[in-house]
Amino acid sequence: MKELIEYIAKSIVNEPDQVVVSEEDTDNGKILKLQVAPDDKGRVIGRQGRVAQAMRTLLHVMVARSDTKEKVELEIV
Amino acid sequence: MDTVEITGKTEEEAIHKALTQLGKREDEVNITVLKKARSGILGLGAEEAVVRVEAIGNVLQDPGAIDNSPLQDSEPLPENIIKAKEILKTLLEHLKIQSSLSAVPYPSMSEEDARPSIALDISLKGEDQALLIGRRGQTLVSLQYITNLILSVNNKNLSPVTVDVEGYKQRRFKSLQSLALRLAEQVRTSRRPATMEPMPPNERRIVHLTLSKWDDIDTESSGEGENRKVVIKYRGM
Repeated sequence: MKELIEYIAKSIVNEPDQVVVSEEDTDNGKILKLQVAPDDKGRVIGRQGRVAQAMRTLLHVMVARSDTKEKVELEIV
Repeated sequence: MDTVEITGKTEEEAIHKALTQLGKREDEVNITVLKKARSGILGLGAEEAVVRVEAIGNVLQDPGAIDNSPLQDSEPLPENIIKAKEILKTLLEHLKIQSSLSAVPYPSMSEEDARPSIALDISLKGEDQALLIGRRGQTLVSLQYITNLILSVNNKNLSPVTVDVEGYKQRRFKSLQSLALRLAEQVRTSRRPATMEPMPPNERRIVHLTLSKWDDIDTESSGEGENRKVVIKYRGM
């Protein structure tokens, strides 16, 4: 899942080197934290959060296929 | 729905009625005059004309069949398809979806641009279609959106592509077209508006386009967001 978000983010930002995705396990499931250069934040969020929403939808596909069906959230930091 | 038989005082009148009903232009149909009109003498022995009008060369012709066979190699694929295919392939690999991609002909949905275009079709290997389509096609919308986003960021001048899963969109659009035509027919007879189920923008567009040539029928979208639906109304001539 990390790789998916990394690939998408790196492909759409101006500074791919600054893209960092970290995973955090919580009691409520997994949180993916996507970190980008300040000027690139708008790009990974998109107009009305459309890009972030699309990434979440794709993450859900992976969750639906996983054995655990563990909840995954995407945060942009 | 693609063939109608209509009577009229003259052949021209019958043909005109038939074209309105089919929402077609004269060059999009086959016209057979089954019976010529006769004026009779002082109205005695007058007979109305009967014509059969059949829609041709259009996506509406056969709502059941879709052409989903990969394009032949003879014609080189446009650059946006080639690039988008690479992007989509990478995305699917990351999603761990067993699939293969092919470029397929994709019927044009609008009259202004009648050129058939090309879509990328994902064919799944043992996976559930529903997984990639999602509720109301939302997952497919996201997949296409992300693909085109990456495509446009890296290649500013390339036009966006259509992404489909095993011909889902083509099938869906065709059934929407015939549903729209059926409902419009009902609205015309009953003069009462019909409201369709909530649909995403691309599907509502199909309904609007399908009925845009019906002079006596209006379509509009009402409701907000997820709940937006098409209302088909009778306008009169």
